[in-house]
Amino acid sequence: MNLIVRDLDARGLPCPQPVILARKALAEGGFGRLDILVDDPASRENLLKFGAYAKCQVEEQPGEGTQTRLSFTPPATGGTQPAVAPAPNAAPQVPSGTAVLLLSSDGIGQGDPDLARLLMRGFLYTLTEADQVPKRLLLMNSGVRLAVEGSESLANLKKLEARGVEVLACGTCLEFFKLTSSLAVGGITNMYEIAGHLLEGSSLSIG
Amino acid sequence: MLLLATYPSSHAALRAEQQLKATGLSVELIPVPRSVRSTCGFCLLVEVQDEGISLRKSGAEGLWRVLEPPPGQHRRSYEPHR
Repeated sequence: MNLIVRDLDARGLPCPQPVILARKALAEGGFGRLDILVDDPASRENLLKFGAYAKCQVEEQPGEGTQTRLSFTPPATGGTQPAVAPAPNAAPQVPSGTAVLLLSSDGIGQGDPDLARLLMRGFLYTLTEADQVPKRLLLMNSGVRLAVEGSESLANLKKLEARGVEVLACGTCLEFFKLTSSLAVGGITNMYEIAGHLLEGSSLSIG
Repeated sequence: MLLLATYPSSHAALRAEQQLKATGLSVELIPVPRSVRSTCGFCLLVEVQDEGISLRKSGAEGLWRVLEPPPGQHRRSYEPHR
């Protein structure tokens, strides 16, 4: 049996273009496997997440530098394997809450920026002591600064992650601030995922 | 030992944070816990070796010893430190 493979070259394309291409190709179908070549780490992360979302089996062949080839086998032809196996030693506690918080700034509110950042630091510390933690924190715009090396809130975000909170930073925002390689907690996400999470249920915007 | 220091104002707490950090101490600015009395909303958590003398010098109003939460719980508790 011949496997029809469709090849896409998404090198040099800005995030989220590679995911859009993959989504379109999968919707069109007509192949047994979709191979996508990317060279941007944020796009790679997003494609892996998209693969899991689309229930594809995903294999990766790393290339030179940041270049990598991701092979997606759609569920219809790809057996019943989970698309991306969870990391074996990642066993966070089940989150106790259902709230999704959108942190769209590294501070809370307008006015004095120092006070705004002070309030956000205090808020994140307070979350670590809460009986019920959020399900997910979505970081956008300068909110991504909270999750990078040198952030005063890094330790608290790590504590929250250890309590089962999913921390996700907007890839476009990290790239905009040139902070992609400094992300020190959580994962990278894209607008599709963020919109999906915000529409899931109880979400709050902080910042 | 980990101590919590309260200050008369947020500005004083921020100033003390910078001062103490400059001396190499590990400092975290946090909202004043519910069980701690203070006139201001923010305070400092500081790991000290000197029983809190440096914190008094930084303008601290009150000092509290930090008790870590028991396993499975997440909220610290505090008792007055003299």
